[in-house]
Amino acid sequence: MKTIVITGATSGIGLETARLLARQGFNVLGVGRDEERCQRAKESIVSENPEASVTFFTADLLHQREVTRVASEIRSYLDEHCNGELHALINNAGCVRSWHMTTEEGYEHQFALNHLAGFLLTHLLFPALVKARGRVIMTGSESHKGTRMHWNDLMLRRRYNPLTAYKQSKLCNILFAKGLNELYGASGIRAYVVDPGLVNTNIGNKETGRLVSFIWSFRKRHGMPPSVPAETYAFLCRQEPAPEGLYYHRLEEKAYSRQVTSENARLLFEISKRLCGIEDYAGVSE
Amino acid sequence: MNVFITGAAGGLGRALANECASRGYNLFLTDVNEEGLARIKRGLERQFDVAVAVKACDLTSPESVDEMLSFIDRHRIGFDMLLNIAGLDFEGGFTRRERENIVKIVTLNDAATLRITHAILERRRPGRPFYVVFVSSLASMFPMPLKATYAASKRFLLDFAISLRQELKRQSANVLVLCPGGLATTPEAMRGIEVQGFWGKATTNPLEEVARKTLDRVLAGKGIYVPGLLNKFLSFCGKIIPRSWVAAVIRWRWENAQNKWLTGHDNI
Repeated sequence: MKTIVITGATSGIGLETARLLARQGFNVLGVGRDEERCQRAKESIVSENPEASVTFFTADLLHQREVTRVASEIRSYLDEHCNGELHALINNAGCVRSWHMTTEEGYEHQFALNHLAGFLLTHLLFPALVKARGRVIMTGSESHKGTRMHWNDLMLRRRYNPLTAYKQSKLCNILFAKGLNELYGASGIRAYVVDPGLVNTNIGNKETGRLVSFIWSFRKRHGMPPSVPAETYAFLCRQEPAPEGLYYHRLEEKAYSRQVTSENARLLFEISKRLCGIEDYAGVSE
Repeated sequence: MNVFITGAAGGLGRALANECASRGYNLFLTDVNEEGLARIKRGLERQFDVAVAVKACDLTSPESVDEMLSFIDRHRIGFDMLLNIAGLDFEGGFTRRERENIVKIVTLNDAATLRITHAILERRRPGRPFYVVFVSSLASMFPMPLKATYAASKRFLLDFAISLRQELKRQSANVLVLCPGGLATTPEAMRGIEVQGFWGKATTNPLEEVARKTLDRVLAGKGIYVPGLLNKFLSFCGKIIPRSWVAAVIRWRWENAQNKWLTGHDNI
């Protein structure tokens, strides 16, 4: 039985993807922020499919100490039950913030959760991914095309705009995937970004201001149900041999922004390593 | 520039630490939360090329402060700027709060701030201008039923800062007092602000912007900073409307908000 880890698995796209992968016979390890919601998500998956193999881990991935803790819990689980092998890691947890808020390290919330948390978690689970020639999948967004990297003010302290911060964090997801493939593809892993499209989830209503929440309440009604993008994640987990592309929407490769260059990918890698205090990414020194 | 910041592990203190570090200032950070200090130190050093020293300290304990001061003296650290950010409040009416908690509001917000300000002024780097920031509050502009102790403790800082500014004028030191309304620090803080309805949100300002402008203004020699147009207008009202009327209006408003906030918590 192949094992996958998926973050942000208690609602929205994460929950539906976890449900679908469990139905297709994967051993699903979900990560969620709230113990009770993790419990509910697990019950919802199992009630529909009693055969499902689902385990939840609780962690608030905004905090690097929590990413580190949950990663070591997952590694122990993998060593004990899965021969140390991880077939796929889906970095899906994300947030939108109306205000510039910072983590304990002083990092902006959207940059910290949407990008850095996945960057650090991938690093910490890398040996298990390599062992299974696994895949890393990020939840991206078509909105990454509307911006560039603000290298001189990555945390956008000068002119914070929730949408710019969100778009940039989604551009980071593609740059990270590109960097993984170019720098560490030789180890047998493969990284992808899924554009879920406009999906009817509550991301714009969680811890955001009234305006963002109000707009999102209307916008999300035009979205498709989260079970639709779940198919694309499942496709990227299942397909053999591993697909060659980088950016997928509805089971198909898609064009991405011109900002997604090797140069930008390397620069983001260097900065992210420093921000996470990582010397040898993936246990490999360059 | 060597900057001393209290309450640096969270909220406005952390935002100011970030802003100072982005300007290349060296930092000495203190907070009662030792782990939080270590994390912000790590984050700042990873982001910026600055020296960050930290020392956990309970500012309400003279022994703890003395220990920190001797640490500073052992390392011969002198300062050019002091940002007095540490402060606290407890929710609820006067008779409903714990006695020691009420006293602690004044002990930290006022007594500890005086202790630190006196100590750090003694440790000025000679021959350089000096800058001090006090964090008062929009609440200092009015008597505030249900936040009586807090508002009065902040009024103390406001008046003290304005006086000290005059005393230090000839010693090339500038004193600024910051009087913010709400600040968007954390999702939890924003939920607290949301229950106040329209006025809560309208008097709230972006944290990173307030941090930036606070530094800009103290460096430019300004004496008082009330962020946001509406807050400036409200503080003006506080000066012309009879204080007993203001108190009656505020009691009515806070009673509604606090009931919502407290019952909201009971339900969780």
